[in-house]
Amino acid sequence: MDYALQQLLNALAFGAEYSLVALGLAVVFSIMGLVNFAHGEIIGVSAYSVFLAAALGLTSPIVAVLLAVAAAALAAVAFERVAFRPVRYAPTTTGLLTAFGVSIVVQNLFMLLISPKPQSVSILNGLNQMWFFGPFAVSSLQVMELIVSGLTILALVLFLNRSTLGLAIRAASRDFATVRLMGIKANRVIATAFAISGALAGIAAVFIIARRGSVSPDLGFSLVLKAFVACVIGGFGSLAGAAAGGMLLGFIEVGLLVALPQEYGGFKDALTYVIIVALLVYRPEGLLGQRVELGDKEI
Amino acid sequence: MLSVDNLVVRYGAVSAVRDLSLKVGRGELVALLGPNGAGKSSTINALTGLVTPASGRIVLDGQDISRVRTEDRIRAGLTSTPEGRHIFANLTVGENLRLGAAIRRDPKGVRQDIERFLALFPVLSERYGQAAGTLSGGEQQMLAIARSLMSRPKLLLLDEPSLGLAPKIVVQIFDFIGELKAEGLTLLVVEQNARQALRFADRVYVVSAGTLRHSGPPSSLADEHGLFNLYIGG
Amino acid sequence: MARFEVSQAIEETASPPAAVAQPRAALTRSLIGGLVTSLPVLVVGLLILNFAPTYYTYLALGAFVNLIVVVGLQVFMGNSNIANLGHSAFVGLGAYGVAILSTPLAMKKLSIPNAPFGFATLQLDPVSSALIALIMVGIVAAVSGKVISRLSGVAATIVSLALLIIVHSVFLNWTNLFKGNQAFFGIPKVVGLPWMMVFSVVVIVLARLFKDSRWGLQLRASAQSPQAAAALGIDARRLRLMSWVLSALICGLAGVLYAYFAGTISPKLFYFQMIFNTLAMLILGGMATVTGAVTGVIVLSVGLEFIRSIESGVTIAGIQLPQLLGLSGVALGVVIVLCMAFRPSGISGRYELDELLSRLFRRNAK
Repeated sequence: MDYALQQLLNALAFGAEYSLVALGLAVVFSIMGLVNFAHGEIIGVSAYSVFLAAALGLTSPIVAVLLAVAAAALAAVAFERVAFRPVRYAPTTTGLLTAFGVSIVVQNLFMLLISPKPQSVSILNGLNQMWFFGPFAVSSLQVMELIVSGLTILALVLFLNRSTLGLAIRAASRDFATVRLMGIKANRVIATAFAISGALAGIAAVFIIARRGSVSPDLGFSLVLKAFVACVIGGFGSLAGAAAGGMLLGFIEVGLLVALPQEYGGFKDALTYVIIVALLVYRPEGLLGQRVELGDKEI
Repeated sequence: MLSVDNLVVRYGAVSAVRDLSLKVGRGELVALLGPNGAGKSSTINALTGLVTPASGRIVLDGQDISRVRTEDRIRAGLTSTPEGRHIFANLTVGENLRLGAAIRRDPKGVRQDIERFLALFPVLSERYGQAAGTLSGGEQQMLAIARSLMSRPKLLLLDEPSLGLAPKIVVQIFDFIGELKAEGLTLLVVEQNARQALRFADRVYVVSAGTLRHSGPPSSLADEHGLFNLYIGG
Repeated sequence: MARFEVSQAIEETASPPAAVAQPRAALTRSLIGGLVTSLPVLVVGLLILNFAPTYYTYLALGAFVNLIVVVGLQVFMGNSNIANLGHSAFVGLGAYGVAILSTPLAMKKLSIPNAPFGFATLQLDPVSSALIALIMVGIVAAVSGKVISRLSGVAATIVSLALLIIVHSVFLNWTNLFKGNQAFFGIPKVVGLPWMMVFSVVVIVLARLFKDSRWGLQLRASAQSPQAAAALGIDARRLRLMSWVLSALICGLAGVLYAYFAGTISPKLFYFQMIFNTLAMLILGGMATVTGAVTGVIVLSVGLEFIRSIESGVTIAGIQLPQLLGLSGVALGVVIVLCMAFRPSGISGRYELDELLSRLFRRNAK
């Protein structure tokens, strides 16, 4: 029983983290069709900001958390301003490759300016403890991950449904030109979407740093690959799909960890992807996706 | 109020609008008529800034807005209800109306306006919390016009309000457009359906193949019978 | 905006000398075009073969492998306009295929004594090994292509990445067969620069023939305007599958050749670094044309070698610069970003070398 509960919490926590990152990708994709491969480097910028701040003498974990989120949001907005704005109206492949290029640049900058080797960051280690509920021992990090992700998603839903800017983001996901006809500034809508996307990545970064206790240049890359896969199984561009896809991915991974014998543990990632690709054979448009009508985005 | 001088719109090598000039005076309802592909929508998109004209000047209330971004043109008081309505299908009726008022900073006034339109179109009131995509075509057109009016524009551009609607609904829509004119709103209506557009028009421009062919009062079209048939038909 | 794109699309699909009225003449033209495009490659290859020191010959062999990979990448990406971020998986499969089949038994005893299916006691000649390896690549490509060709562009790209990770993970973890993280050595070194040049020319001509073929034209048309193409009865899925498999086979061939000239391979060679390098080459050169693939490889191979020499720490005017690890990565990324922003069609744009030459000739003749 204890074991089963522990694995359930594992799956939920993994799933929550994938959902956060996948949501960030989906927010940006839904309004401007950008497949943001540089999302992992937003997590990277966030993590390295915390590393640098700690190296410069920062000791407060709370400030470190705020810094992580703010740095990620800023990095996302900056990436958009510098690299993605010139290709805003270009075909999807152009944007995708641009983002891929940005990802390579930033990853290598970490290598060049800091170090190719992982750097230790202990400022957030306090978040990772064991909590005891009667007979159960659970990881505080996983519980927090679950709660914080839940609250973040709730806040996102409220923002998208209540605020004018949130409405504009939802509207822009279908028809950007008409949103501009409402007098809403395109740049503001896009900057907001990127800031949200970055903030979500920053929250994920906090948990990653706390769990690993170190940062490395490719910190966010493999996580974002998984988040992309979550988006694809959820239905690309659908926010609910991204969140659901992330959770599903968490459960598949933990399920495989439980089911696979120790010596085959290395095949976990490969099998996860195989399962997902197999799912796509049956639902090419994803679980919650719908066939996008071509011409939907035309002026 | 609005004056357009020598407007040229090109898509690559194709000229959609050639050297078009027109004027809309305060409180006027001006109809811009012409067949499919005449360059009417391109003109409207150039006026709202969604396409950048190759050359020409657009002046609104004495201010040259030719190089002003779409968003800022709306803020300057020019609004358009696009062809094909383009309501936000994934948003509710209420959310559509709220987005229409995005540039306003008077929540109270916005609420009053929403109530006014709901009273005017009881259907929208019934469907207030439903996704706008579930409305019928005519209802969507009502919503689209109401949404445009939520920004309290000085000048409203209507692009093909009759497109794809049943004749009975078209009459209703134009009745409403007539009321808007009576309230003092300035309107530029682009239409293929000349009969309806001419009911309330003060003046008429006829375009075809991107070029202005005729301008004058509605009665002038009746005189030149050949022209009427050639460019407008039915 | 939308209308503009359509008019451009029509222009683009109409411009190449497509197989229209006389298929035979078009075929000849395409064949000659491919040969003209491979001329620069031959010239560079012959120069190196005759004049360059050994170190450069080794570099050139690497560049030729990249060339074949990039041409393979162009076959899928250039025609279907879908980004493929998983092609180095096929390079790896080709390389490991011949490694497992052709490595001498004495070497295998050291490296993979516990290989399953009797591979530990099997040694084939290099040619049969290559053929079998390519058949394996073809099978993996056909299965993955079945999935990828059904998906929309973005999802297809993500699945191509997933494929890369799956294959890489298998290389790493199936240690009995692939030797895991360690280098697989002892592969017979049977390929030198002359063979590499021959295969490069073959592959370039093949890519060109595909591009100009009925299938290539239809695929490009459907990439530009899916609905119009579907209305003409073009089966885009089948064409995407076809170009995916051809692209994979060419990449697999590159892997085979790499293994046969280097003699030693390891999984990390066929992972993201190769994707970065070859993708940047194709984008810089221009992915719409085979000429673009060739141009990109030549320009970036030279550029990267220069940057790598700085990266490893050079001495300029008596001052020893420190190692700058990551510099070449930054340069690659910057190339991609700048290209996409300012010249998405790359250096060579929309025209093949022979088309450019004939235009130039015609203009001068006037």
